[in-house]
Formats: sequence, structure tokens, C-alpha cells
Amino acid sequence: MTDTPSSFTARARALPGEPWFGPLAALLVVYALFAVVAPDTFLGSLNLLSMVRATVVVGVTAVGMTLIMIQGGIDLSVGSVVALATVAIARSLQAGQSPMMALATGIAVGAIAGLANGALVAGLRLTPFIATLGTMSALRGLAKGLAREQKIDAEPGWLEELMTMPPPERTYQLLPIGVWVGLLLAIVAAFVLARSRFGRHVVATGSSPATARLCGIDVGRVTILVYVLGGLLAGVAGVLEFSTLTVGDPTDSVGLELKVIAAVVIGGGSLSGGQGSIAGTLLGALLLTFIDTGCTHVGLPNWVQEILTGAIIVVAVWLDRLRRRDG
Amino acid sequence: MTSRRQVLGLIGLGLAAAACRRSAPTGGEAGKAPRIAVIPKGTTHEFWKSVHAGAVKASQELGVEIVWKGPLKEDDLKSQIDLVQSFVAQRISGIVLAPLDSKGLRGAVKDAVRSGIPVVVFDSALDSADPISYVATDNRAAGRLAGERMVEALGGQGKLVVLRYQEGSASTHEREEGFLEAVRKAVGVQVVSDNQYSGPTTESAYAASESLLLAQRAAQGDIAGVFAPNESSTFGMLLALEKARIAGRLRFVGFDASTKLVAGLRDGKIHGLVVQNPLEMGYRSTKALALHLRGEKIEAKVDTGSTFVTAKNLDLPEIKQLVAPDLSRWLGAAG
Repeated sequence: MTDTPSSFTARARALPGEPWFGPLAALLVVYALFAVVAPDTFLGSLNLLSMVRATVVVGVTAVGMTLIMIQGGIDLSVGSVVALATVAIARSLQAGQSPMMALATGIAVGAIAGLANGALVAGLRLTPFIATLGTMSALRGLAKGLAREQKIDAEPGWLEELMTMPPPERTYQLLPIGVWVGLLLAIVAAFVLARSRFGRHVVATGSSPATARLCGIDVGRVTILVYVLGGLLAGVAGVLEFSTLTVGDPTDSVGLELKVIAAVVIGGGSLSGGQGSIAGTLLGALLLTFIDTGCTHVGLPNWVQEILTGAIIVVAVWLDRLRRRDG
Repeated sequence: MTSRRQVLGLIGLGLAAAACRRSAPTGGEAGKAPRIAVIPKGTTHEFWKSVHAGAVKASQELGVEIVWKGPLKEDDLKSQIDLVQSFVAQRISGIVLAPLDSKGLRGAVKDAVRSGIPVVVFDSALDSADPISYVATDNRAAGRLAGERMVEALGGQGKLVVLRYQEGSASTHEREEGFLEAVRKAVGVQVVSDNQYSGPTTESAYAASESLLLAQRAAQGDIAGVFAPNESSTFGMLLALEKARIAGRLRFVGFDASTKLVAGLRDGKIHGLVVQNPLEMGYRSTKALALHLRGEKIEAKVDTGSTFVTAKNLDLPEIKQLVAPDLSRWLGAAG
């Protein structure tokens, strides 16, 4: 309100420097592209809502991954954690637990898996890539064992409604409850990252662990906490995944980690730590869904879609890097 | 710098747009023909290619447009659910679906039906009353067929081993039960093992077969016949029999006809294969949906049948069409 014209234009000029600007531009370009090629179907509001819903599991997991990657780590085990959570939820429902208890079990399983990752990385000083490569396999095996190597069928109760579109009498709700929960978690995470002491410590550790240590930051504690949060969010994603599947599936989400890492990187995250933003990550995750859905609407065969997805990821990140170097 | 970036961006966009348009021959001409999505469990197996050919055949006959799209990740439940939801959001005219899980797809199918999109299920059952028709092999009958022919081949005498496929897989379970039902009717035939599972892949099937054959002293000639209920378990068993150098010395009946299995049939290592008719499955399910869209009444359940193939009938034209159908006629060179 009190902005003078000059400070307003200055701000407008600074916009392209914002970390989320690149991914937003990419998202709009891809959206426009598919809107032109498949206008009758892709432009519908139903489709937009459906795409947002389809992004939630990747999105929530990617929020955790953003924290981990800003801290300088990586977590390859998230796909296995999501699968393990769906199995744990199904098993606890089968054992007669209430949906609320099952939900808590799923999230707790995720947090414990995260704690294990954090302990391996901070305690045993293993490279995050190697440590989580190990837990990726181990947790996948655990999920299969817990599920006795089959999909587990359990009565989901109200858990199923977390991801179903709201009924006609509640259209004002627009999106399933699970999507709103996911968004809320993302906002909280963004706030923590930007405003809290812990958030500053995460960025500092990722930028330079040695400096962070010199500044008196307990790097080990920050590391463990970041992995626990990442695991916890993967557990929440597991709850939402179970809501979609309505069965516990130990073979679910193979390769999810790659999609999640792609979302973070498209969103301006860096594999070497210190960089990334929650908003950018969510835009990156949406971009991936837009490509998937758009290709389906256009009727592309899967092999073309996979090539296209790879190309768009590389181009988006590359353009973003060019832009930053210029700015 | 700026101009270079813009040029690069434009090139990228142009390429993407070109890729979209060129490989979507059906997307552009959105006439009045209904668009039907045909969703298999995966796209790379031979079986699904035949289904695709059948769907194309039906679409040409009935003047509908089909969109053939499998889950992006082969056999991945979540991918398939996403796909169904995405077609619902597109407001496609109808969906023909081979559900990866009899429970997991219920919600997505319910959403479709609630939005006025009819669904035909094929290949595997869905635990729901929402689909308007179910088109599949009657697996129990197919298993029974295998069992009857096995008894014939054994002359009504001998010990049998059944290698099951995987816990929780409904179609193969039906085949196993059908097989057991038929062989138990023969007094002289004794099933000595029916509780071992091959697991999902050829490797796991091979490992399970090898230990099963050892445990049952097959190499010493204790076993007269072996049965496996699907392609991967049959192939794994074939490998194990070859490795133990007893292929051909006992009667081996399996399921499905891949190139390797047909070669085994020719070499006398496999006595017979029960073959389904995927082309017919794709054809009948797509046709059912197209007819329903025209307002015609359709059957709630369609059996696409199964055939017992041996080295003797392998070269008959009608069998040849089952085992090695000419898919290029329907799918073109791209199929």
C-alpha cells in the first residue's frame, strides 16, 4: 500500500530472482502447451483438481526431501518408507485397530525409519547416498516380509475418504482433505525453514558443515532431526497413499525417490546442499504431474512420455541455472 | 545472453509440441466418435500387445476411437489408479480396464461410474458391482482342461507335482484349483506336492522349481508329471528341468505361449500348454463397451476360452493364430 512506484518496480524487477520463479514459469509454459494441444480435456477445472490430488504423495514426500537436501543430504529410501507405511497401516487395521491408530502407526513407522537413516548418517558418518541406499533395500524387504509378500486387504474406514474427491454437497471443499493436510504441512515446513532457528541451522549445515560447527551448531542433532522429519513426512505420504490404494502394497512406490528428487531439483534445490525452497519443490512436483497427465490426454505412448519427461526435467533445471548465473 | 536463452527455450518448446502432435494421430480429429480408454496391466508383454490388437480390431469395426494406455510403471497399482482418475477427469466416453488389484481399483472405478463413465473389466476380476461387464478366461475351466489332458498323458497313473504361482493372485489360484479338481478325479494319480510357490519372476520360479524337483527326487524318476499355472512359472520350471537334464522325461503341462515355451513344445520338453486368447479378450471387452455406449444390452460375463496346445496341433492354422497372431495387421509396424 505504501509502496512508491519506484520501489514497486524494483520489486517487480527482483521477482525473477525469487527461487520459485523459474519452476513457476516452467509450470505455466507446460500447462499452456498442453492446453493448446488438448484444449477440450486438459483445461477443465476437474482436471486441474485431479492433477493436484495426484501430486500430493510426491509433494508431501518432496517437502521432507527439500529439508534433507538443503541440509546437504539425500534420502533414497522414501519410496520404501511409503510402501512400508501402507503395509503397516493395513496390518494394524487388520488387527482390529481404529483408523486413527492405524494412521498414527503409519506416521510413526515413517519417523522411525527416518531416525534410522539419521543415525546411520550422523552416528556412523556414512555418506547419505550409501546409507539410504542400504535402508531403501532393507525397508523394502521389511515391507514385503510384514505383508507376507502380497498385497494386504483391510477395511480402510474413514481413511479412504482422505483422498476421495468431496461429495456434491461439499463441493466448496474443492479438494480431498488429504490435499489440504499436505498443503498445511508444506506451509508449516516453509515457515520453519525460513523463520526458525532450526531452519537457519539446516541451511547453515548444508552450506558448510565445518562453518556451521564452528558457529556452535550441533550438526549431528540437526542431521538426525532433518531425517526424522523427512521420514515422518514420508509416513504421512504413506497414509495418503494407503487412502488411494485401499490396500497395503509392499511393491508400491518403487522409484518414488527419483520423482521426489526431480521435484526438489526442478524447484531450485541442489544436490550439494544449502539451496532449495518448499514453494519451488511443490511447483516442481506439480510440473511432473502436469507432464504425466498432459501426455495421457494427448494420447502419447508411454515410451515417448518417459523420454519427454526426462528432457523437460533436464531443460527446466538447466534454464534455471542459466537464469541464476545471469541474475 | 537473453536472446540465446530465448532461442533455446523456443527450440525446446517446438520439439515438445512436435513430439506431442506427431505421435498422437488420434488426438486431433475429435469428431463425434466416442473415445474409449483401454488400460492393460502393463504394455511391454506379448500378452498385452495381443489385447491391444483386439481392441484396435473392435474399434475399427464399431467406429469408436480407442486410447491405449498402460500404467507408466509396469504392474504398478498406484500408476494404474492415477491413470483411471486421469481419464475420468478427461471425461472419456468409457473405460476398458484390466485391474491390477481386485480391491485397489474399486475406488477409481466407482468414481468413474459416478461421473457417468461406464467401465468394462477384463482379464482379472474387480471386487465390485460397478463394471457393466467382465470379459476374461474362465480360469478354473482352463485349469481343469490342463488337468484332464495331464491325466490322459499319464495314462491315469503316476505322481504329480504342482508349482503354484503366487499367494493372492486370483486368476492363477483358480487355474491351480481347476487343475487339482480334474486330476484328483483320477484314482491312479497322486499329487505329492501342491504347496510350493514360484513367486513373481522367472528367476524366483527357477529357484523354486529347482528345489522342488530335488525335494521330490524328480531326477531319480519319482515324478511323472509337473504343472505350472502361468508364463513365468512355466518358463522357470522349464529351465529347472533342462538344468536337471530331465526335460522331456516327465510330462510337463504349463500355461501361455511365449516364443521360448513354444520352442520347448517343439523340442518335446513340454507336453502341452494351455493358451488363452488375449486378442479375443481385447476385442470382446472393447466391443462390449462400444455396444453399451450405443445403448445395446451386453452380457455381464464373457468367457474368451482357452485351448490346449501340443506339438501335434501347433501348426494348425487356428492354433497358429492363437500362439503367434499376426498383430501387425492391427497395430501396424509400430505395434
